[in-house]
Amino acid sequence: MRHLRLTLALVLCLPCNGQLVCPPLGLDAYLPAPEDNPFTREKIELGKKLFSDKRLSRDGTVSCATCHDPHYSFADSRTVAVGIRGQKSTRHAPTLINRVFGKSFFWDGRAATLEQQVLQPIANALEMNMPLEELPQHVQWNATDVSRALAAYVRTILAGNSPYDRYLSGDRSALSTEEQEGLRLFRGKANCATCHVGANLTDERFHNTGIAWENGFRDDGRFAVTQREADRGAFKTPTLREAARRAPFMHDGSLTTIEEVIEFYDHGGKANLNLDPEIHPLHLTPEEKNRLAAFLRALTGVVQDGVAPGIFR
Amino acid sequence: MTSRCIVLLVATAVCSVAGDPRSWWSGPEVTLLGSPSRNGKLLSFADPVTGALGVRDLVAGTSRFIATRPAGSHEFAYFSAFSPDASKIAYAWFNDKGFYELRIISTSGEGQPFIAYRNEEAGFVQPCAWTPDGKQVLTMLFRRDNISQITLIPAAGGAPRVLRSLNWVYPKKMDISPDGRWIVYDNFAVEGKPERTIFVLSLDGTQERRLIETPGDYLFPLWAPDGNRILFAGDNGGPQELFTLDVEEGKSIGQPRPLTGALGRIIPLGLSVSQELFYGVRTGSPDVYIDSRRIPTRFAGRNTAPAWSPDGKQLAYLSRRGTENFGEQARVIVIMDLVSGNEREIAAPLAHMERVVWSPNGLSLLISGSDGKGRAGLFTVRVEDGATTALSVEHDAPFRGFEGVWSRDGKSVYYLYGETELRQRRLTDGAEETILRTAAMQHLAINKTGDTIAIGIGGSAIRMTPLQPGIVARLLPFPDLTELAWGNELYAGRGEKLWVVPLDGTPPRQIPAAKGRLPGISPSPGGESIAFAAGREQAEIQSLQLRK
Repeated sequence: MRHLRLTLALVLCLPCNGQLVCPPLGLDAYLPAPEDNPFTREKIELGKKLFSDKRLSRDGTVSCATCHDPHYSFADSRTVAVGIRGQKSTRHAPTLINRVFGKSFFWDGRAATLEQQVLQPIANALEMNMPLEELPQHVQWNATDVSRALAAYVRTILAGNSPYDRYLSGDRSALSTEEQEGLRLFRGKANCATCHVGANLTDERFHNTGIAWENGFRDDGRFAVTQREADRGAFKTPTLREAARRAPFMHDGSLTTIEEVIEFYDHGGKANLNLDPEIHPLHLTPEEKNRLAAFLRALTGVVQDGVAPGIFR
Repeated sequence: MTSRCIVLLVATAVCSVAGDPRSWWSGPEVTLLGSPSRNGKLLSFADPVTGALGVRDLVAGTSRFIATRPAGSHEFAYFSAFSPDASKIAYAWFNDKGFYELRIISTSGEGQPFIAYRNEEAGFVQPCAWTPDGKQVLTMLFRRDNISQITLIPAAGGAPRVLRSLNWVYPKKMDISPDGRWIVYDNFAVEGKPERTIFVLSLDGTQERRLIETPGDYLFPLWAPDGNRILFAGDNGGPQELFTLDVEEGKSIGQPRPLTGALGRIIPLGLSVSQELFYGVRTGSPDVYIDSRRIPTRFAGRNTAPAWSPDGKQLAYLSRRGTENFGEQARVIVIMDLVSGNEREIAAPLAHMERVVWSPNGLSLLISGSDGKGRAGLFTVRVEDGATTALSVEHDAPFRGFEGVWSRDGKSVYYLYGETELRQRRLTDGAEETILRTAAMQHLAINKTGDTIAIGIGGSAIRMTPLQPGIVARLLPFPDLTELAWGNELYAGRGEKLWVVPLDGTPPRQIPAAKGRLPGISPSPGGESIAFAAGREQAEIQSLQLRK
């Protein structure tokens, strides 16, 4: 099996215009980047340093990596993000893997670009609480430079080459029988693929599953951006890649295991005023739930960062 | 700046066509799945009758098959593309395992086809073009989870290089620039809207750009042999025609310009090195009839699958829009008021619709088909506003969906799941029950009282299946059965011919049926008339000479 994985990796690293292009298996060769912030080696290296630099926070105790921990596939093992002086946010820090393919950012999609997104936690009083105009005094770079460098670096955080990717690319032995059964459920009876779709297993859209409902919405979600009543309580579909490494789940971190997530959806989410029509009771048997969980764990693969395919080599 | 404007003006002046369209090939055997060779003398095609891959000598007007299926198999060829030197053809082949693989064969037909890519998880392949060096085939892969991928597949075989994945959507056509640096393809301009526009993607995977920002519906792009412009079909509010757009270094110069007037429902196929543009035109005319009378409609020649409303006052049918076979823009549901003749369109968000059945209360339609998320099965569409709900769907179901009928009370639906299960699904709570397991079931119809379902068995008999317990089912022989419908009487089809099947076991009685009738009749509620569709889709290969 190890030999096969190496062979697949070599086959997919193809020379292209003199450069070696090698995204993890399962991801596109094309990595979108804005024309005014193209990938450069220097910018990515700076972004990687800044990502772990606690000087970006007001009291020097918190960096981006504090809540987007590389050891947890760039997510947070805590329920909600914790900022300076132990201040708790209201939402769980989402993973940053494969955000290069993102169409909007944050659970409510309020940032249109990664360049906008990366500055908001820095400035947020509950998180890093650093006035952006003060950045040059702390890290020698202004907000625009920091934004571009961090965004360029985050675009290099890629996850792929999981057993699922190898199965999709034609290795029929990459998934066990139980995992293959789980994949069938994922695409069929469990209805997961209705939202968790594509190379990154997310439709990048906003759905109301009822997770924020408790006799009213505890979090308005997408409504805060669109002011559309139908969007109240809707949150962006997260990727499922690396799910086994980055519990807890949902926008509020309220579900602690993959099994709890499956139970939540098996019950048809939580009924509320805006429940997405695709969320309904699944009637999964205990055996089917186990198979589905096994498949979700097979989405665990390789996470790489700081390398932009087609740039360095 | 001034010199650039002059260049643009000159370019605009010379981009035109010389002469009228030239017809090369027409008739029911013509499919629009192939491409011309670069010298413009040959056309690859998929033969609709034999399933073979063929080569048409456009000058001599003769055809030969170069890849045929084994006797007794259901395999067939689909999309194809010539290599740059026309010595080989890359083509999609629907194999004996039930999915498409990419094959390459010598144009001469000598030797065995070579399987360049075969992966059940990417079960549909569409070869669109070759790289100029002939080493890779630009291929659209369509995965089982309904992701389309723009890929380069080595002609010598090997893993595809996935350049770009697209969720739930797919390009209608892609092409490679003559310098081998750019791919041009179409995709939706805005998520949730049917209009398409044109994009370029660099082969090295570092750049992607939308080429056209102005409104319009643009699709089927091709790269001109001079490399300085692309051509594509589309419209910007008027009838469909051909457009051109100048391109330099992957960026558009100016705006798209119409090259021709209206050409009908066209699909560009390819360009020769002498800048002759080959394209297909759909010329067929399926239409809906009531008895022998064709119903008057605004979109004549595009209509199938009629269904009478329970009160007999309306007729629902499917009507094709655009040139494509598949996609949300391909078909709409039309509700015709049979008294006033007024037509109302329902644009259900479904990628394919195969048949329509009215609910007993006339408020909903049961649609067999598939949605834009790659799920196929049964859907309900509210007649009032087109609100569409997935009723029983799966990712692995056939794109034509399941065949289903309503229960008498409208609270549940009976449908055939595969060929071995008859299921009942309650609409109230979504609970499902398998009520019959047996082999080779195809086609079903329910009687007016809702107590018996007729099911075709093995294409040779009709199983009369009582829905109340304790009553024994029975078989009525009917060889070569191809469809069932039940009004006041039970109707059975055999190809375009039609019979009434007496329930007492006496021999079926043939009734007059129009020549070219298509499957899918609907008896009127009173039993005095039958609605059906007749007429075949046909196509023609034409070309236009572009001025250099």
